[in-house]
Amino acid sequence: MSQQFAYPEDRETYNAAKVRALESLLIEKGIITSETVDKVLNYFEKEMGPFNGAKLVAKAWADPAFKARLLADAPAAIAEMNFPRGMTGAEGENMEVAENTPSVHNLVVCTLCSCYPWPILGLPPYWYKDPTFRARAIREPRAVLAEFGLTFDESVKIRVWDSSAQIRWFVLPERPAGTDGMSESELAALVTPESMMGSAKAKDPA
Amino acid sequence: MKLQHHLGGLEGLGPVNFETRVFVEPWEQRIFGIHVAMMGMSLHLSDSVAKYPIEKLPTAFKSTWTWADLRKGAEAMNPFDYFKYRYYEKWLGGISGFFVSQGYISQKELDARTAAILEGEKPSASPLMNDEIDRQIIEYLRVGDQGGREGERKPKYAAGDSLTVKDVASVDHTRLPGHLRGKAGVVEKLYPGLYVYFCSTGPDGLGDPMPVYQMRFDPKEIWGDLAEPNSTVYADLYETYLEGEPTRC
Repeated sequence: MSQQFAYPEDRETYNAAKVRALESLLIEKGIITSETVDKVLNYFEKEMGPFNGAKLVAKAWADPAFKARLLADAPAAIAEMNFPRGMTGAEGENMEVAENTPSVHNLVVCTLCSCYPWPILGLPPYWYKDPTFRARAIREPRAVLAEFGLTFDESVKIRVWDSSAQIRWFVLPERPAGTDGMSESELAALVTPESMMGSAKAKDPA
Repeated sequence: MKLQHHLGGLEGLGPVNFETRVFVEPWEQRIFGIHVAMMGMSLHLSDSVAKYPIEKLPTAFKSTWTWADLRKGAEAMNPFDYFKYRYYEKWLGGISGFFVSQGYISQKELDARTAAILEGEKPSASPLMNDEIDRQIIEYLRVGDQGGREGERKPKYAAGDSLTVKDVASVDHTRLPGHLRGKAGVVEKLYPGLYVYFCSTGPDGLGDPMPVYQMRFDPKEIWGDLAEPNSTVYADLYETYLEGEPTRC
């Protein structure tokens, strides 16, 4: 699998030409418009992305009562946020949050495909979609996390959540040390998509 | 048995590629956008909780296209190809194959246009603008397609029940991870309400509204001596995949 992203040059050129051909034919046949794909991509760039999750985590770190509400009913807590309309929309209709603590670390996986909470985290990164990750994370999460640079003492419980039905999972990472007094927007800058899936910790403050 | 239904626990795969990008080639964004458009115009959405007015949409797309259709395609692949092709390559194959098989485009015109583009020609499509189509697709993203339903059906089980995962006959599509088949687990939580699935999965059992359970498994039950210490596996499972005696009176 180490060659996964190294292909002969013509493979990508062919794929790029084929998808352009497909898109132009779909426009010609009146299936989509000339702007459809760009509007979808723009929506994910501007409105539905991991920047929402980062704000949510920062608020949960700053406000214990909000954190309790988020863990109890994620969609209801998300509705309290000043997000664009629809942040419990497609692939976020039913969401659950797993909290990391000093004694529990959570990792999210989808062993059957690539289920991911779009409104809060945007689109899944390649490692999450990788069949190798999906096959291994469920059986040897400690080994996989160690490859990602996270090692845990045996006393820390590892919980692996397989998104096999219509519930979408994300992780509330631990608040890093040395962040007392930071504003919510400063805290949000420490939250990466990986930290909200459990494959990394939130960044340490600079 | 499909390897794609039994990925969990597969050995000998080597290290995970910790690639954090969502798209590794610019063209991948285009096929993603086309897939979202198809989902946002899918005929089944007129019967969804949100009751989108799909019949009135001025598009030539008149099909149902959901995650189940994309997943079925990926699960139908030769398992070696499944590992060989990158994520969005599988999408490109499945989605272009769908448009050809449903008669929206012909393989011949797709091949001819691809060849023309490879030779440097620009696709000659005259622009098509239609806000109604694009608005519906973004509205689908905002509102979604809720699988949760209210209903009369009473859940068979409750938190704390010890159950066994059935070994159902899965044909072209399933939401039951292979490594859980025949294994014993405990209900951690019953999710409120009932859940439908996008389509019937036949003898596999999904489709009608049914309860979904958060199930907890001891990794030793699944992996035996290969299990890592101090860990727990959770999976969200539809009631049809579970059997056992409820402990409640």
